Order: sequence, then C-alpha cells, then structure tokens
Amino acid sequence: MVKALQKKYDKHVDSIKKGEFVLNFKKLLISLSMGAMVFTLGACSEKEDVNGASESEEKVLKVAALESAYGKDMWHQVAESYEAMNEGVKVELTIEKNLEEVIRPNMQAGEFPDVLLLATNRPEAMTETLIKENGLEQISDVFERTVPGEKQSVSDKLLGGFTETLATNPYADGETYLAPMFYSPTGLFYNKGLFEEKGWEVPATWEEMWELGDKAAKEGISLFTYPTTGYFDTLVGSMMYASGGADFFNSAMKYEDGVWETKEAKKVLQTIEKLSEYTHPNTVANANPKDYTKNQQMILDNNALFMPNGTWVVDEMKEAPRADNFEWGITAIPAFEENGDRYAFTFFEQMWIPAKAKNKEAAKDFIAYMYSDQAAQHFLESGAVQPITGMTDKLEDEKKTFYSIYEDDAVLPAMGTFASTKPVPGANMGDVLYGKVDSVMSGKLTYKEWQASIEEVSDKLRAAMK
Amino acid sequence: MSKTSARNFFIVVCITPAILLFTIFMVIPTIDVFRMSLYQWGGFSNEKQFVGFENFKFLWNDMKFIQAFQNSIFLIVIVAIVTLLFAIFFAAVLTNKTINGRGFFRIIFYIPNILSIVVIAGVFSAIYDPSSGLLNSILGVFNLEMWQQKWLGNQQIVIYSVAFALVWQAIGYYMVMYMSSMASVPASFYEAASLEGASSFKQFTDITLPLIWNNIRTTLTFYIISTINLSFLLVKAMTGGGPDGSTEVFLSYMYEQAYGNSTYGYGMAIGVVVFLFSFILSAIISHITKRDVLEY
Repeated sequence: MVKALQKKYDKHVDSIKKGEFVLNFKKLLISLSMGAMVFTLGACSEKEDVNGASESEEKVLKVAALESAYGKDMWHQVAESYEAMNEGVKVELTIEKNLEEVIRPNMQAGEFPDVLLLATNRPEAMTETLIKENGLEQISDVFERTVPGEKQSVSDKLLGGFTETLATNPYADGETYLAPMFYSPTGLFYNKGLFEEKGWEVPATWEEMWELGDKAAKEGISLFTYPTTGYFDTLVGSMMYASGGADFFNSAMKYEDGVWETKEAKKVLQTIEKLSEYTHPNTVANANPKDYTKNQQMILDNNALFMPNGTWVVDEMKEAPRADNFEWGITAIPAFEENGDRYAFTFFEQMWIPAKAKNKEAAKDFIAYMYSDQAAQHFLESGAVQPITGMTDKLEDEKKTFYSIYEDDAVLPAMGTFASTKPVPGANMGDVLYGKVDSVMSGKLTYKEWQASIEEVSDKLRAAMK
Repeated sequence: MSKTSARNFFIVVCITPAILLFTIFMVIPTIDVFRMSLYQWGGFSNEKQFVGFENFKFLWNDMKFIQAFQNSIFLIVIVAIVTLLFAIFFAAVLTNKTINGRGFFRIIFYIPNILSIVVIAGVFSAIYDPSSGLLNSILGVFNLEMWQQKWLGNQQIVIYSVAFALVWQAIGYYMVMYMSSMASVPASFYEAASLEGASSFKQFTDITLPLIWNNIRTTLTFYIISTINLSFLLVKAMTGGGPDGSTEVFLSYMYEQAYGNSTYGYGMAIGVVVFLFSFILSAIISHITKRDVLEY
C-alpha cells in the first residue's frame, strides 16, 4: 500500500519536474485571472447605445420626472398621447421618487435626459446646481410656439405672471430657462369644522391672530405648528410681500445690501419670533424628515390651529385619523395691519432642458405639448394642475376651494425665489433663513442674532451674483 | 523556467485581479477625492476651476463645519467609551458559566446589530416621541415628570439621544467580539488565581483584560470608523441634522455641501479632512495603546 502511494507520488513529482503540470496549471491560472478581470471590467463599462444605431428610423426622447404625490400613471398616458401624435418619436420615461439619485451618475458621465421635471428647493438641489453652472437651455422661444395640435401659442394659454419671476428666469435677464408646470397655492391650513364649532373667525391680521392664539390657549390648543422649517419658504415669502410689496421681495431675493436690516424685514422676523410663543411645544421635536407628519397630525387632532403647507397635504394625510367634523381649510397669510395686503405664495414645479441634452428641438416641442388640452387633461385626472387659463374651472370640491383662494379672499398671489449665484462654500440662504427657525422657536436665538446671520450670508451671496 | 521564477509568476497571477480591483475601486477614487478638493466645481459642468487650498481656507471660518466636527468628535468619544465599558462588562458576565440563560441574553444583546439603521431610527423616534413616546411615558408612570424632555427637540440634549441610539445598536456586536477572545483564555489561569485567593474583580483586571488587550485595541479603530459612518446614516434617517444643525455630523455636512449647496469641491475638501482625521486618530490610538502581547 505504502509502496503504491510512494510510486504515485514519484510519478507526480516527475511530471512537475518535467514542467507538464506547471504549464497546464499556468494556463489555467492565466485564463482564470484574465476571466476575472474581463468580467469585472465588463461589468463596469457602459452598454452599447442600442438607440444610437436606429436613430434614423426612431427618435428617442428621454424624459425624466420626479414621481410626486400625483403618481406615475399620468406620465405614461402623456407619453403615449405624444407618441401617437408624433410618429417616429419614442418617449423614454424615468419616473422616480429619488430621481436625483437615479440620474446623477449618468449625468456626471455626460448622459443627460432631454427633458426634466424637477423643481427647485429640493434637498438635493440638482436644479439649482445646474442653474448655477449655466447648465440649462434657454427656452424663451417655447412660449411663442403654437401648442402642438392646437391653434393658440403657449403664452396665450399660460396664466399671467408665471414666467416673470426668478423661479423661471433665474438670471433676472428676461430670458426664461424653466417652464412652470404643476402649481399649488400655499397658505395656512386649518380645520374648518373646529372654527365653525367654536364660532371663531379666521384671522385676517396678525393682531387678530394673537387674540385668537390667547383664546385657543385657554382651551389647550396651540395657535401654530409647522411640519419642518423648510415650509417657511412660502410663509416667509408671503410675509415679505405683505410687509414691503413685490419690489422689496425682489430686492431681498437679489441679496441687496442691508435689505434684511430694513424695518420691513424686521417686521417679518419679529412676527416669527413672536409666533414662537404660540407654537405647539412639541413642534421642534417633530420637525425632522422622520416625524414631520406628527406635526401635520396636530391639525387633524385639533391640537394646533394653523400650519403653513400646500394643497398636497390633503393627499399626504388622506389615511390619517382625524377629529369629528374635520374639514380642510386654507387661508392666506395674515396682513400686518387692518385692510393690509394679504398674500398666498404659489408653489410650482418646473420643467427644463439641460444644456447638454441631445435632442433639444424635440425637447422644446415636448414642453410646448405639455400645455395642450390633451396633456393637461391627463395631468388633471391625477390631480396635477397646470397654470393654464380656465384650468381651475375644471376642478371639483375641495380642490376648487383651494385654487380659488385668490378669488374669494381678495388675496394676492406671490411667486419667486432667490436669484442664482455662483456656489459659495458654507453659505446657504435656505439654511440660515429657514433652518434657523427651529432655534428661534426654541428661544435659543433672538430675532436680532437671526437677522445678523441672514445679512451675513446675504452679503456673501451678493458678491457671487452673476 | 526556474523554481523561484515559477513561484513568483504564480504569486503575481494570483494577486493581479485583487490589486486591479483595489486600484480601480479604492485607490483611484481616493486620489480623486483629494484632487477634487482643490477645485471649485458644482458637479455637472466642464467648468472645473482650480482654486488650490481655497476650499480648506473656507473650512476654518465655517462655523457649521466646526459644529459638525464637534458633534462627530463628541459622538466618537462618548460612543466608544460607553460601548466599550458596557460591552466588556456584559461579555465578562455572560462568559461566566454559572449564569443561567446565557444564550438567551447573547441573542437579545445581538439583535440591535442585525437591524437596519433606518429601522433603528424608527424605533428611537417612537421611544423619543414627546407626547406618546416610551421614554416620557415611563418617566410619567414613576412621577418623574420633571425629567421628561423633548428628546429630539431640545438642542442641548438631542446629541445625547443620537449617541444613546448608537450605543444601543453597537453593544451586542462588540460584546460578541470580546466574548470570543475571553472564551479562549485558559480556565486554569482562573483556577490558579482563585486558589491564591484573588477576587473575581482582581481576576478580571489581572488576567482577562491583559489577555484580551489586543482585541480591545483592534475594536478601538472599529469604533472610530463605524461611529463616523453610522452617525451619518442615523442622523440622515432620524433628525435630518436638526434642530438647526445641532446633530449635524461631518459626513452629513459633507453631503449637504457637495450636493445641496452645489459646492462639490468644498464637499470633497470636507471628505479629505474626515479621511485624514480618522486615519490619524486611529494611528494615535493604536500607538498609545501598544503593549507587549502576552502569550498563553
């Protein structure tokens, strides 16, 4: 037995000495390691663009849109109708809730969608980044085009004022880079049922607001709460309009020197500081991405009277339990004095074309089509309302009351956002103007300190204005 | 082919794929982070402007970065110390063979570690809820209303709330690591020590601790790395860095600057600081805890 084994071993050693085994083994090793490399590198490389080859027959339009509360279906319907109208065009949709994360890698590699529906003021700030880097295509001419399949031009159908603010003309040069899409009035949301039950009037001025706050406090109800500090963007905007008018608002949006030290700005900041006395004590603890719905729930449970929000909150809180005879109400931000102007900020999402898109012409046509009756109808069925004349007449019930806020209350619309600057490290207007509200509410920061830090950031950004 | 060259050839072929992958996925991206920290760039355009160390100069004067840095250091220190003490204590208790239900407790302690950090954020946001949360309710039951807090709302307290959640999820993992090295300490040492009349505390400090010292040293580096990473995830999922930046940690601030503020280069400069900080801190800790390894 041992001898047999010994023999076998010797033979094996012989074959190694002769190099037979080494050679075979070497071949095997090389092919294995090469295989591994090819596999990994192959996995990293891009797939060949299949569309490129067949472009002559079929044009592919890449559309990327944020999946918001309105859902995905409307985009598929719109894409189908557009394809039916334009033979030889294929619409490739990317509809995601985390759209930025999905498309960022391709965009950094130079592969841009042709059209994007992605609003400003999102945490990832992709739209702002492209604005700051001159990455948007100018689309002023889209509004002069005839809506595909119709006789009117886009600007004829569009509601007035929507293409005249920094939210569509970010460089304040009269040229439009972003098209206004789904809009929603924002304001203070409350429980109509509770007000009827208690016989309370909805306040029209901040004076009346404080009186109501004292009255409600006796019944154990707080006057105010907010989902997160981000919701102060529309509230502060409306208050700035009410305090100093459109010119004052625009000068603040363009970081004019000393604008936050004026008496108009002081009035706004002081009012928010005073509001902290009337804010539900749990608000700051819940004002984070995880628990903000607990703050919204306070309105449904009659623990707080008002919160700043947009019409999407109705769908967002659809499944939540609520007090008996609860009914959503919306009111404009109170005026600073008797019979003063009241504003309700109009929030809207934007559609735009990246400067590096491949099919810019088709993309512009697609944007013009967005304002057709056909497309508007698809969007409307999912609850998304565009700023098109006559659109609000087609709304029903609760939605109709929200969108007619500007008619009923003799309330003025407010729109706009901060002007674009070159990026400045560490200086972010949203952080200082809205983020610090938490500290103001908890009493850690006085309005004076707040004012000073806003002015400081405003100074830094003014220097970087384009 | 001679024997040595065949051997060398064999080694080269074996490690080439690994080195290649390591270079592509680790070395090049790291160099890229260092390179990008010298540029001003938003992330998409071709306009990368070389600004030298300008981004690092901004860091010195950025109070929000300094706040995030303080929070991170605080978390690393507090999470490492508290977890270390509890994990060693429980490991020592649970390696004691006279304790009943050891297996049960081991599982209980280890469970938090298998939960995803988003689940942990959910669990703790329920525990910390100001009105119906577990913590405030328990304090209410014992008539300790004066201790009730807005655990996620009070800016002085919220960082402790985050630290507690991190400790809670880490204890089980480190406990298991310590237990495995404690189990390999020969029982005869303890028998001899008890014959000599050493108390169990004395046995722990003079036998157990020195013999598992190398293991503890290794875990100190783990604490640094895992706290930096997990605090980012937990803060993102639970507090969003708020209220007003009081739970911002350096990775969440880096993310915010690189994407939210369109200053990608500045974000990468923060990344460089984090990289160097964790490297140097680990090296220092490893150096000052160096002892002769005891053999048994």
